[in-house]
Amino acid sequence: MKKDKKKENLITAEASAPAAPRDKTEGRFYRIVHSEAFSGYMFLLPWLIGFCVFVAYPIIQTFIFSFSDVQIRLGEIETSFIGFGNYAKALLQDAKFTDALGEYAMQIILYVPVITVISLILSMLLNSKLKGTGFFRTIFFFPVIITSGPVIKMFIDQGVASFPGIENLIDFEKLAETLPQFLVDALQFLTSEFIMILWFSGIQILVFMTGLQKMDKSMYEAAKIDGATKWEMFWKITLPALNPTIVLNVVFTVVMQSIFSLNPIISKIQTDMNATDGSGGYGYASAMAWIYFILMLVILGVAVLVFKKHEKRLKTDRRFKLLKRAKGAKA
Amino acid sequence: MASFQGKKINPKRFHVSQIKFYVFLLPLAVFMILPIIYIFSTAFKPAEELFKFPPSFFVVDPTWENFKSLFELMAGSSVPATRYLFNSILVTVLTMLISIFLSVSAGYVLSKKKFKGQKLIFEINTLALMFVPIAVTIPRFIIIVNLGLTDRFISNILPIVAMPVGLFLIKQFIDQVPDALLEAARMDGANELQILFKIIIPSVRPAIATVAIMSFQSAWGNVEASVYYLNNESLKTFAYYITTFSSASTSSITQGVTAASALIMFLPNLIIFIVMQSKVMDTMAHSGIK
Repeated sequence: MKKDKKKENLITAEASAPAAPRDKTEGRFYRIVHSEAFSGYMFLLPWLIGFCVFVAYPIIQTFIFSFSDVQIRLGEIETSFIGFGNYAKALLQDAKFTDALGEYAMQIILYVPVITVISLILSMLLNSKLKGTGFFRTIFFFPVIITSGPVIKMFIDQGVASFPGIENLIDFEKLAETLPQFLVDALQFLTSEFIMILWFSGIQILVFMTGLQKMDKSMYEAAKIDGATKWEMFWKITLPALNPTIVLNVVFTVVMQSIFSLNPIISKIQTDMNATDGSGGYGYASAMAWIYFILMLVILGVAVLVFKKHEKRLKTDRRFKLLKRAKGAKA
Repeated sequence: MASFQGKKINPKRFHVSQIKFYVFLLPLAVFMILPIIYIFSTAFKPAEELFKFPPSFFVVDPTWENFKSLFELMAGSSVPATRYLFNSILVTVLTMLISIFLSVSAGYVLSKKKFKGQKLIFEINTLALMFVPIAVTIPRFIIIVNLGLTDRFISNILPIVAMPVGLFLIKQFIDQVPDALLEAARMDGANELQILFKIIIPSVRPAIATVAIMSFQSAWGNVEASVYYLNNESLKTFAYYITTFSSASTSSITQGVTAASALIMFLPNLIIFIVMQSKVMDTMAHSGIK
């Protein structure tokens, strides 16, 4: 890291040198304007303003609202501070909310690994030399325009999102005799949600594909000379090199699932937000949004930790040595 | 570099060894296309097929009836439909351009520059990405009111241009652009803007196209501004206009009108996807990275 910085400084010094004669105002102002930080902030500024005003500030506002009773009458907003009342209500009294939270956690735990594995497999298939890959790539990326639009609501309402009859392909009752119940439940859930899972893999496939294309081809050649099979190459070269991409995809999947507009918790928050009969209200909806947000962070934190640990282990692993040797062979 | 094929990702000939790939890919591809077939087929279903239970997948007796009733309803509205359409197109184009530019320039400095608070800003962005979007409706409304933007056309655009997901994706892609490339450009005397436009943007084209698709969708389908911030009918968007029919019309034709309007709303998405996808798939072949 330190070395990098030195290098960087050297380069900026070199880069700014030819510009110097053009601008004769040497001194403090010049130094500030031409510093890396200054241009950094300048590029960032427009986005930052938009972000602060329309994203960050509203989120902070909901945090304040979540501790209040918010009444909206004729466009006027009245708030009165009620402490943790909204939070207590959501967690202790509202069974619908806690059920939805459980359902969400279950869904994430099943979705994330499955989407990651499926998109990895598909991206490798799509990255192979094959007639019609361009066509297939387009098709597998296609769901991006379905899942992020309002279109998907229509599909789910109409039942197109599940594959009719797929449940009958597997005899779940028979499986339940030999396998523990939760495994059978998970399997049943996955088969009925299969299409949804495929639809949600579009961007992940793309991310994996770019990762695969960036891979150093000579590493495979070196491994091939050493007599490695394709299977070994996958586990010892492809997978370790893809680890950061996997983390990125896991984060992305969790986030996309969590803010998916038809997710049970989001619809609950929405109905309660607009409730006028006193059962919900905006303060209550804000509190639920925050509880949900924190739960999401915990899930994400666990997922990232698992992969980071895996990465650390990899570094000390024998496999990693092979990787290094392959790199050395290249050099 | 024998394996370098440039843009050609398809080998010329079919080979028997490829069959095993097709066995996997073809059935899955069919699933992916199902929704598109469905949305078309539903829009052309006559009333009795729409209400049939269990619903049939393909249309048996296609008809233009749904579109006719939709256009009749449109003809009856006080503000002409073209006005809404014009608003929507303007909003969508501006939102796409601005949000892509903001995401790329912010993504560039967050990824390639070193300054205080850089990591923190990106982390805050990632956190914001995860916050329930629907929950911020009312604070956003308060801000719009306080800024005096109610009933201004710009309130269609401003709230959605800073797209956390766009920055997130683009920054991750820019991370993969090798520093050596930027250094080389700086040595040749390129300034920051040149680097941004000549190096960063061409090399993260797949990400930009993805973000373009996403921002297109969020702008095209956005009804929040029309519902909450705008009272003046002539400033509202087409998406809002379309939803008024599916909720207000009488029940016998509602289903048909909803299906027809869903297709009309969906078509631009499909078009933008077809236009953009070649850019998405056009990977890194001629960006100087390999």
